[in-house]
Amino acid sequence: MKTFTDTELRILKLVQGDLPDSLTPFADIARQAGTDEATVLGLLERMKADGSIRRFGVSLKHQKAGYGVNAMVAWRIAPDERLLAVAPIMSESPNVSHCYWRREQADWPYNLYTMVHAKSREECLDVIRRLSEATGESDYAILNSIKELKKISMTYF
Amino acid sequence: MPQPTQSAQSAQPKQPAQPMDTYDKKILDIIQTAFPLAPRPYAEVGAQVGLAEDEVLERVRALRASGVIRRIGANFQSKKLGFRSTLCAAKVPEDRLESFIAEVNRHPNVTHNYLRENAYNVWFTFIGPSWDMVCATLAEITAKTGIEILNLPAEKLFKIRVDFRMHDGDGPDATDADGGEDGD
Repeated sequence: MKTFTDTELRILKLVQGDLPDSLTPFADIARQAGTDEATVLGLLERMKADGSIRRFGVSLKHQKAGYGVNAMVAWRIAPDERLLAVAPIMSESPNVSHCYWRREQADWPYNLYTMVHAKSREECLDVIRRLSEATGESDYAILNSIKELKKISMTYF
Repeated sequence: MPQPTQSAQSAQPKQPAQPMDTYDKKILDIIQTAFPLAPRPYAEVGAQVGLAEDEVLERVRALRASGVIRRIGANFQSKKLGFRSTLCAAKVPEDRLESFIAEVNRHPNVTHNYLRENAYNVWFTFIGPSWDMVCATLAEITAKTGIEILNLPAEKLFKIRVDFRMHDGDGPDATDADGGEDGD
């Protein structure tokens, strides 16, 4: 883990939570962290520029925005060169939010993971069928979620 | 002295979800990806969409109250902070599900956990300050529960969608902008 000053850590502890509900949220954070607004904004700008803050903004509650259904689809693709060619095609789909290569394991042969989102189960299956057709890959497991057991934002600081 | 029966705060009902209008969607489009890092952020958003500063904040408040907005803040890239993350899966027999899930969820490093339709039925993400810590903790969970855990770190990330357009209303916005799978 990277090292931060005590002031920086106090700021980061605050911005990993929810922004104060006010017209001047960064001044409020500065006050709570015992520093000035310019220090807060400077730290956030720097961390955004170096990528350690990937995004600063609103997180939506998903179901309420209307696209409730998702499935993780694990594909078995060989050899690696083939996977490297197929992954960008799958990533092009606006219904695919995540696409990762993860190495196969002893009794788990799948190595490419796509998170597929749609408005309904039927549409989700249709998207998966189209991904399969577009790539010619047909060895896959659909891992429908039965239940969300935990969902939190990581507490880094 | 009689206590007021309802404070202004507690009297306020959870607002019914009103349909979002064009302004709401424009505001969300901006503050999802480019919340202004500025002393008066809502004034800047207002200037872009054509509303007064306090009206923008009012709308953001309403979107929070109705539950559309979950939070506003920084989303970190775990790898850039020096953290390591992985996706884990386990085959858990029905009668041991409850205790296994409790043991896994106990860890603040576990950010997402889903019960899924497969022999590998429990899928969770684990983020830790070093790879050693990640592996050691997974081994501890196995030692405690007697259940093997598949450790599936990303070899390569091809896509993580972080820009969810609300405004065109047609793309799926539904993934987790905090990092979904395992966040890097």
